[in-house]
Amino acid sequence: MLRYARLFGVQLRASLLAMLQYRLDFLVEGLLEMFWIVTAIVPLFMVFGARESVAGWSFAEALLVVGWFTLLQAILEGAINPSLVSVVDHVRKGTLDFVLLKPADAQFLVSTARLQPWRATNLLTAAAIFGYAFHLLGRPPSPLGLLAALVLLGSSTLLLYSLWIFSVSAAFYVVKIDNLTHLFSSIFDAARWPSSVFRGVLGFVFTFVIPLALLTTYPALALLGRLEPAAMAGAVAGSAAFAALARWVWLRALGRYTSASS
Amino acid sequence: MILVRDLRKDYRVHQRPPGLRAAARSLFRREYKTIHAVDGVSFEIAPGERVGLLGPNGAGKTTTLKVLSGLLHPTSGEVHVDGHVPRRREAAFLAKITLVMGQKQQLMWDLPPAETFELNRAIYDVPRDTYRETLGELGKLLELGELPARPTRQLSLGERMKCELAAALIHRPKLLFLDEPTIGLDVSMQATIRAFIRRYNQRSGATVVLTSHYMEDVAALCPRVVVVDRGRVSYDGGLDELVRRMRPEKRVVLHLERPVDRADLAALGTVVAHGPAEAVLQVDQAGLHGAVSRALAALPVRDLTVENAPLEEVMSELFSRSRAAAAEAEREAATP
Amino acid sequence: MRSVLSLRALPVMLRVGFAEAVAYRAEFLVWILSTTMPLIMLALWSAVARDEPMGRFGQAEFTAYFLVTFIVRQLVGSWASWQLNWEIRQGTLALRLLRPVHPMLAFAVENLGALPLRVVICVPVVAIALLAVGSGPLPRSPAAWGLALVALAGGWLITFCASFAIGSLAFYFDSSLKVMDVWLTLFLVFSGYIAPVELFPPAMRVAAEWMPFRYQIGLPVELLTSAHEPAAALALVARQWAWVGGLGLAAVLLWRGGLRRFAAYGG
Repeated sequence: MLRYARLFGVQLRASLLAMLQYRLDFLVEGLLEMFWIVTAIVPLFMVFGARESVAGWSFAEALLVVGWFTLLQAILEGAINPSLVSVVDHVRKGTLDFVLLKPADAQFLVSTARLQPWRATNLLTAAAIFGYAFHLLGRPPSPLGLLAALVLLGSSTLLLYSLWIFSVSAAFYVVKIDNLTHLFSSIFDAARWPSSVFRGVLGFVFTFVIPLALLTTYPALALLGRLEPAAMAGAVAGSAAFAALARWVWLRALGRYTSASS
Repeated sequence: MILVRDLRKDYRVHQRPPGLRAAARSLFRREYKTIHAVDGVSFEIAPGERVGLLGPNGAGKTTTLKVLSGLLHPTSGEVHVDGHVPRRREAAFLAKITLVMGQKQQLMWDLPPAETFELNRAIYDVPRDTYRETLGELGKLLELGELPARPTRQLSLGERMKCELAAALIHRPKLLFLDEPTIGLDVSMQATIRAFIRRYNQRSGATVVLTSHYMEDVAALCPRVVVVDRGRVSYDGGLDELVRRMRPEKRVVLHLERPVDRADLAALGTVVAHGPAEAVLQVDQAGLHGAVSRALAALPVRDLTVENAPLEEVMSELFSRSRAAAAEAEREAATP
Repeated sequence: MRSVLSLRALPVMLRVGFAEAVAYRAEFLVWILSTTMPLIMLALWSAVARDEPMGRFGQAEFTAYFLVTFIVRQLVGSWASWQLNWEIRQGTLALRLLRPVHPMLAFAVENLGALPLRVVICVPVVAIALLAVGSGPLPRSPAAWGLALVALAGGWLITFCASFAIGSLAFYFDSSLKVMDVWLTLFLVFSGYIAPVELFPPAMRVAAEWMPFRYQIGLPVELLTSAHEPAAALALVARQWAWVGGLGLAAVLLWRGGLRRFAAYGG
């Protein structure tokens, strides 16, 4: 365990050094991120320009969901996405073999390969959105709500990471999978909206199949103090289950790469 | 050290014939063909040996190497490397081996090789002082100098290869698997790499298994070769013995004082080359003594050497024979 | 200067484009799935219009609008920018240049070659749309249909030319794909993809009128759902084709200039 902690440190350091090589890129990326988030709020303004509430959510409350979305987006872009994209690169260039030759867990190695913690610009945007939302609501979140939200931050991050592992495992089965990022982004994008907006089939899909509801809506409800304890327990358990499933899928995919299943 | 018995590796590849209808059909149903990349290979390698895996393209050399390093699961057969079963990929096993691939690199692109060295040190859990010692040795043997401090993308192919070798040896593995390590390098760099591998093997006693297309690699490094041909072993033994078997004739190189008629040379043996100052004859082993004495007696010979047929020729003949056999087999399979 | 066209190669190229699309089924599927945003938006806006309509859009109108948007996006989409960027980076563009077909035409034809497959994807969506909403919103007269199809072609051309032009930027600098990201972001907001242009706040409407995005998706969708009177429709189509001309010119100029640089620096 200690060894993995040390390994994480080494990987982080390497990522930081690599970042310093491409300072201009980092700046441009950061600006693009903020631009994207701003444009993401436009539909929210359009929708709430004409209405007081949609599907039981007021503007300020919906803003909380967007805030969580932004926060998770930052974690996605900073920690999860770059590393896992490197897996697709490795498979394409045939250098995944080098990862597999190392006496350390392959999933850990690829997940920590390219961390980009300086994508923190969106953390600032998220904080701004939260601040504005609570300003509109006229009251700060309760301490319990805050605690619950932090726990859900952990489980949401784990869930997001697991969803990504699923997507990346597909790279082992398919030859050309460059637009994986796009696919993931477009589906993840639906997490910007409170999940009660989605009814019927879509609602089912987004709660149980690709549990976007757990990612952003539940934490927002927690901050508002409206999350049932049962629902919270369900969210944490669900994330853990997803993580286990993702690990299984990853091992299967790796097994296929090494023809282990034959 | 290495024990391989009846190794087989099959691949399923999907067929895609040209044409519109075939393309549309393949949307729903795909046809597969089984390729026997390795078709019953057996050999044993003792610790400290340097062995070359030779064969034409697609013979199964790289596949065999990948099975030995645990990257691929064999379809069937037994493989034991230093008491481990490679496909289990036990941490203890992985710490004993290293794989270097000529066309691919494990060095991080944006950072200096030194960072990759550090990373490998952490991954393989090498104690700091051992690490420093190893790096010092490798730096001297490979003549790395300042290279590890420059970003990888700024290094030339040869410099990268040297650093790649260093990165692969940080953890002092007992087994070196080298897949075409000198490909694309210039002649002097190839020589440097070869010398390094030989010296490393002599100093550390590590076992070396090498695949290469370059005959100089094989000649310089591998006293023993395993020739793999269409998934099977067609020869396993010393290099000299292989040459003798393929081309049992000897080459007699004559350095002449003055030009000689071709007819005079032909009387002694097959004329391979004929120039004003030099001629090369091919003579079988039995007639060698007679041919040499007759040449010295009858021709204005200034100097004379007897050689084996060049390795290049032997290999290309070996490979073309195997290609011809493969073509023949395909033709037979195709005719109803 | 090489000759531009070799028409005899076209049928083969179309066939190859089709075969490629089929070969990379999974990638194709991924692309289809990435363009599901209209369906998400449909869910959202339906929720908004649940109690009362928004402007002239009730739930039925939103359903028609977004299902047609999905179809139009499938038909109009182009990935030339990523492909071109890749080929320039890898140097394989040189291979393309050796062929007696102008690369711009080659890319266009490859894109069109995948069209049959994309149409197939749209068939069930069309069926669902007709079932859900009926054929009411569809254009009434042959002239209106004609104009709608012209708008569709125009949308395709704008998308392709812009894609090609941005792809050509890879000749000039490294991070040209970021420009595509910016384009896509603006596209998502101003094209009518996530909300009908009609519903934009006034400031945004004005902005949308002056940018090409609205003419990529918004206009074809609006014409297919009979959102405009004939006179207004004609004027909008005219503006669309002005953009086609402008972007086409930009694509050609950027390409030629880039090619000179490519040749000068050896790729």
